[in-house]
Amino acid sequence: MRNLFAFFKRFRVFLFFAFLQVIALSIYVRYLSFPKNQYLTTAGAFTAKILETENNFTKHFNLSKNNLALQKENIRLRKNLPISLYRIDRNLLKINDTTFKQQYAYIPATVLYSTVTRRNNYFTLNVGWKQGVKRDMGVFSDKGVVGIVHNTSEYYCVVKSVLTKDINIDVMIEPIGLFGLLKWDGKNARRGSITGISNDLHIKKWSKVVTRGGSGIFPRGLAVGRVESIKGIEGEPLWDVVVKFSENFRTLQRVYIVKNLMIEEQKALEANIPLDEEEE
Amino acid sequence: MNTLTKNSLRFILFACVQALIFNRLEIGFGIHLMVHPLFIMLLPFEIGVFPLMTLAFVLGAIIDIFSNTYGLHASSLLMMAFFRPIIFKFYSPREGYDPIKEPSLIDMGGRWFFFTYGYLLLIHHFWYFLIEIFRVDQFFFILQKTILSLVFSYLLSILFQTFLMKKSKAK
Repeated sequence: MRNLFAFFKRFRVFLFFAFLQVIALSIYVRYLSFPKNQYLTTAGAFTAKILETENNFTKHFNLSKNNLALQKENIRLRKNLPISLYRIDRNLLKINDTTFKQQYAYIPATVLYSTVTRRNNYFTLNVGWKQGVKRDMGVFSDKGVVGIVHNTSEYYCVVKSVLTKDINIDVMIEPIGLFGLLKWDGKNARRGSITGISNDLHIKKWSKVVTRGGSGIFPRGLAVGRVESIKGIEGEPLWDVVVKFSENFRTLQRVYIVKNLMIEEQKALEANIPLDEEEE
Repeated sequence: MNTLTKNSLRFILFACVQALIFNRLEIGFGIHLMVHPLFIMLLPFEIGVFPLMTLAFVLGAIIDIFSNTYGLHASSLLMMAFFRPIIFKFYSPREGYDPIKEPSLIDMGGRWFFFTYGYLLLIHHFWYFLIEIFRVDQFFFILQKTILSLVFSYLLSILFQTFLMKKSKAK
């Protein structure tokens, strides 16, 4: 017993150091995959308040540019409104049918804080679970996909951006419909890559990359970017596809959060799929 | 101003400056400016190792909260605080440290500061980027980030001290 005390006394500095280090690293590892609460993130009430105050000063810097981008998006959407279309067949009756049902709703939000230079980059938005934001909802801007909600507090949320280690958004390359997972290697904030594209089909340079909408996080067909270069991976029948993101994450200010109204139904159905025993 | 108030004010200053300004600056080439290790460096010579590590952990955690790094800064500052007494002992003058002086560039001179702070910052930055990236195949990227960030953080720390600090007077 005395030896034990002597041991503790001798190595007390190192033990204290190891204790704190284990706390720090375990929080880090746990929060990367599943954050338990919002206190240690920028969605915490105090931090978010400070960032919001700061944002009140800095938000005007890109105002005219942002307004222009929003105006462009409005024009694009306005073109599809009935008032700007010429009706060719005058005898058509309008029938309120049940063919279409609303699947996606959108929540507007402002970016309070963002980084692009880390290995894992996050955004803080000014909406939280009071506005109906939940973990794993998709986030996009007028130019393209931005990320997935990581953690929410009452009035704020933290979004895991496309520029993180394990973002894994399912995307497809447009005209041919090949699909794979979007990844980011941590170096350039304008470029990512797609894995799992088999090399038996030829991909044209600058073909569009859009979301596939398989997991119900994003609707199908949201822009991600364009294919910039294609290289073969040695020893594997796969393409290494480099994507240039259509969104510049540095100047991002206005985003929308996707709320899938049928996600519960999809999840309930998918939970019934028996696990493939060979894969385990 | 006594040591406690001075260091408390510094704590707030470094936390705010790092969290609200230097965390957001983007220079490119993977450079990440960090001035908050200077706070750990400038704590008095006679501070115990336990308060030193606790302070490092708390300062790191505050910066983590502001930058969504979840304990990364706390871990690397703790690493630096652990090695501070060891490196200080290695570079101590023959007659020991003068308790009136501060471990700063102005009080201790360029040569002493260059080596001690250089090594401590190297440990801090290397640990930070190692844990952040955590991949063997990107080892050279870790080295690139560490060395470039180290140079710029170091220059920034020197600027900080030359503009904001005065020589400690003998009592």
